[in-house]
Amino acid sequence: MVSVRTKPVAVPAWLPIVSLALAVAGLLVAGYLTIEHFTASTTLACPETGVVNCTKVTTSEQSKVLGIPVAVLGLVFFVPMVIACLPRLWRDQRPAVRYGRLGLAGLGVVFVFYLVYAELFVIDAICLWCTAVHVLTVALFAVIAFGSALASPPR
Amino acid sequence: MKDVSKRDRTARERARQIVAAQKRAQERRKRLLMAAGAVGLVLVVFVVLIVVKVSGGGPSKTAAPAVSDSASVAAVVQRVTTVPPDVLDKIGAGKVDQLPKVITGQPRLAVNGKPLVLYFGAEYCPFCAAQRWPMVIALSRFGTFTGLKVTHSAADDSYPNTPTLSFHGATYTSDYLVFQGVETTTNLRQGNGYEPLDQPTADQQALVAKYDAPPYVDSESAGTIPFVDFANKAVQSGSSYGPPTLAGMTPQQVADALSDPTDSVAQAIDGTANAITALLCQITGNQPGNVCSGAAVKAYAGKFNGVSPN
Repeated sequence: MVSVRTKPVAVPAWLPIVSLALAVAGLLVAGYLTIEHFTASTTLACPETGVVNCTKVTTSEQSKVLGIPVAVLGLVFFVPMVIACLPRLWRDQRPAVRYGRLGLAGLGVVFVFYLVYAELFVIDAICLWCTAVHVLTVALFAVIAFGSALASPPR
Repeated sequence: MKDVSKRDRTARERARQIVAAQKRAQERRKRLLMAAGAVGLVLVVFVVLIVVKVSGGGPSKTAAPAVSDSASVAAVVQRVTTVPPDVLDKIGAGKVDQLPKVITGQPRLAVNGKPLVLYFGAEYCPFCAAQRWPMVIALSRFGTFTGLKVTHSAADDSYPNTPTLSFHGATYTSDYLVFQGVETTTNLRQGNGYEPLDQPTADQQALVAKYDAPPYVDSESAGTIPFVDFANKAVQSGSSYGPPTLAGMTPQQVADALSDPTDSVAQAIDGTANAITALLCQITGNQPGNVCSGAAVKAYAGKFNGVSPN
């Protein structure tokens, strides 16, 4: 039986820390939005400005995709993302892990494109909590894209 | 001879290592460039979305037809301002999600000696739309409105086209109270907001700035509308029930439902009206007696303890 020992990938020290911090922050905000969604604890009031209007966004038709609340989809996105950004998995050089993490981050960005489009052009209002999730998703994608480039194992 | 061949091998090995290192560095540069390209592309997409939006893209502005037929408006206003007392008594506490919050230690708010009730809202706002119905019912038990308009919340906001009345242009006379209703905008879009309507006075702005903020309202509700100041004895930020209660209804249907104690709309609106009436009775020193001694008010006995006329 032949076993091949592979060297672990050299990962920049900042990479797991930054990516994990972004993923955890995203998980917390998505969790908050999910709790708000299901407890319906939103204030029975309007903001004094029309543009920043979370109620309008979170009660819009676009707040659900195939009947699933977008907040829940955010949670479903960030749970595996937190796991994928653990230092141990950054050192793992299996393609399934590396490309899986990158693909998931890319999927998140594509979904954010749709959500931002919906906010700007369909709903015509912005929710600041949702925007926080969007920014975290894009930042996470950027970190993972550069991190994957730096941490890829030599061929 | 052996030394020469060994040196050749070593040199070849070093050359191979150098080429391999160069190749690795080249691949790394290529990967970094691809990453930068992907991130750059993402940013470009966002910039394009924002530029298109700022340059005028967006949904077309639509508005539901307002009720303008004067006979229909008069009929709706008539029904709302004269909900039978026995219906209100039967409703009692009704089904109300949020009551005005009693505040203490503040100077009594009054105009010409009469306690002042200040409503601060906007016609676009669906929560304001929900709250105006019970406000009108309750205040109509202490005085008389003229010039109430029948309208709806914005067609392009949350809970679109929630039917309602508007305080813009309306006047209120009472022996017991003074009422001021401020509607800061219409329900029609203008730029990123809505068309401006009533300009609040400096005093009204100061009241809202002070009391529509912690500690008088919770931090989540701070600065939101509708905001109602009940003579500085109690305040309310937000509506007492949700706009979905009125979803899909016309103003006429809402007005008709108010006289049916079994209707969920009446439970919400009339119940809220009874709560406001009970609070106003505390503020007016239980005047007028026939209103303040009714079962509708008694349903909220004890809810506004600490509120006094002075």
